[in-house]
Amino acid sequence: MEKTNNERKIWYKLDLSANVYPTLQRKNFSNVFRLSVVLKEEINPDLLQRAVDLALPRFPAFKVALRKGVFWRYLEPNNRPGPFVMPDIVNPCMPMHFKANNRYLMRIYYYRNRISLEMFHSLSDGNGALFLLRTITAIYLRLQGHAIPDGNGIMDIHETPHPEEMEDAYIRYASSRVKSPRTQGRAYRIRGHKEPFYTLNIIQGLISVNDLKQTAQKHNASVTEYLNAVLLYALLEKQKADHVFREKPVTLALPVNLRRFFPSVTLRNFITMVYPSIDPRMGEYTFDEIVMQVHHYMRYYINNKFLNADITTNAATQQSLFIRIVPLFLKDFIVRQFYIRVQDCQSSAGLTNLGVVQIPDEMKPFVERFEALMGQPFSTRTNCAIISCGDILSISFASSIIETDVERFFFRKLVQDGIHVKIETNRNMNREEF
Amino acid sequence: MSYCVNCGVELDRTCSVCPLCNTKVINPNEPVDTVSAKPYPSRTGQIDPVKRGEAAILMGVILATTAIVCGLLNLLLFNGSSWSLYIIGICIVLWIFLLPVLFPSKLPIYIILLLDGIIIDMYFGIIAWLHPGNGWYYAITLPLILFITALVEVYAFFLRHPRSSILSNAVIFVAEVGLLTTTIELLVRHYLDNALKLSWSAVVLTCCIIIDATLITILRRTHLREEVRRRMHI
Repeated sequence: MEKTNNERKIWYKLDLSANVYPTLQRKNFSNVFRLSVVLKEEINPDLLQRAVDLALPRFPAFKVALRKGVFWRYLEPNNRPGPFVMPDIVNPCMPMHFKANNRYLMRIYYYRNRISLEMFHSLSDGNGALFLLRTITAIYLRLQGHAIPDGNGIMDIHETPHPEEMEDAYIRYASSRVKSPRTQGRAYRIRGHKEPFYTLNIIQGLISVNDLKQTAQKHNASVTEYLNAVLLYALLEKQKADHVFREKPVTLALPVNLRRFFPSVTLRNFITMVYPSIDPRMGEYTFDEIVMQVHHYMRYYINNKFLNADITTNAATQQSLFIRIVPLFLKDFIVRQFYIRVQDCQSSAGLTNLGVVQIPDEMKPFVERFEALMGQPFSTRTNCAIISCGDILSISFASSIIETDVERFFFRKLVQDGIHVKIETNRNMNREEF
Repeated sequence: MSYCVNCGVELDRTCSVCPLCNTKVINPNEPVDTVSAKPYPSRTGQIDPVKRGEAAILMGVILATTAIVCGLLNLLLFNGSSWSLYIIGICIVLWIFLLPVLFPSKLPIYIILLLDGIIIDMYFGIIAWLHPGNGWYYAITLPLILFITALVEVYAFFLRHPRSSILSNAVIFVAEVGLLTTTIELLVRHYLDNALKLSWSAVVLTCCIIIDATLITILRRTHLREEVRRRMHI
């Protein structure tokens, strides 16, 4: 489709986080995450396609193509046909080539009652993408004849997009006079046998939010703190079972939604990472000690002062004149090496908690649950994503390794604590190497 | 509903084994549901193909134009020697090298490697034809390049083998280095009409055999392999 003169002038700089993800792109890896909504009735693909076509123009942040400049990548409006809804696949979050799929950086799938949205991380974080998924779902339900109001995460598709939705909120809030250190120590890394290209193993646990809240309260912790502690516990058990030559700290990479601390309506990335950690070299930790350690770590570090210092570090890197004048291919090389040798080694697993998804009351009777998937891990490890809606909390592990030790330790610990867990998987279990 | 007897988690009705511990589900009251749809689809997705047609056309035009213009220039203006054959040859070599980039996953890797070998041979053939002399092309270059191509093909085969590891690749690589040095010495001796025996390459071959024997022992002994993996992990 021909672009108008006005459209030719529009382009967007990538935000701070978004610059990193394309540099890690490999033939067999893209930083793609998935959000799904499970409705109570089977999905009609034609209606879903209409809902996508109606919703997407309201989100110029997502209707874009990624292009290469000499010094940085950038986004430009994409008016090519699509994206088209497709029947779901068993191996989600496949690598996403920037020039394929009519240059769209998202995919939309349907399977039985489930609508899934996959998005390249440069476009947005989970919270931004949730706005799109909820709006598509609301329009889909409206097309079925239900009255779903706007608000509570549903965007009005008739209003003009707010310029603040496109802002790079990092730059706006990075104001600390000190920068936090960029590197942590090296963490324990999970060992496992790689699956053949391209396989993504998913194990999803469904839990009652009330059960979980009660259990977390018994440990004097919030739900996030409790689940962090359970994952750290599972990783410690895995390290023990591995009989490693030299023990290392077990660390989680935990994205924090900065919108909670710095008011912004941006739909683009606005997250930073914190790294709760347990060092088994200091002695044997009981589970309650792990919970307490995570509880205090999160209370100490997750506040607007520490997070500001963190985003200032990243903003300073991007704004430095010396870095800006380095050609893109050199930046790519340096960032990739830094990620492989430093960043990727400083966490044992990723854990993201998207929290409670808000939807209008009128929509609740049609929605069973929401699901989140962090996508393929960069190295041999497992990533965990948590999301809840109503009384159902979904915990999804995604990994590219055959072993399920971490998942087993994790869910067994929940069961030991008296929580009822229902497991679903996409794994083909009838394999001899399992 | 069935629960895993090991993990205590509830399993989906369609699950025949526990995904966490691989324990079989045996529930006489409720056998595994093999009829209902599973929670996840069974269709395997394929990576979206990247259209590189325009890039292929552009490269094709650039290389073809360069070759044709240089050929005409050589024929019509600077016709002292057949210098344009070097450039035409380079254009063909570049085009063959670019094939896997421009048309990904269309051609098997073994065919691509074979084509690369043949095209390098062809380029040396052009040089030999322009500088006829003491038979170096047929005596050394042609067999050597064909042999190297065969070694690369074998290495690619082992590299792509599902059970290949860094150690098994190293075994193949070291063995091929030994074979290559031996072949080079024999070809040179044959070309110089010397007796066909090994001297310096025998030293290299011995080192390769020792390294390979060590690596194969490590590979075959599980404990040794795990120890090396643990100590050498990066």
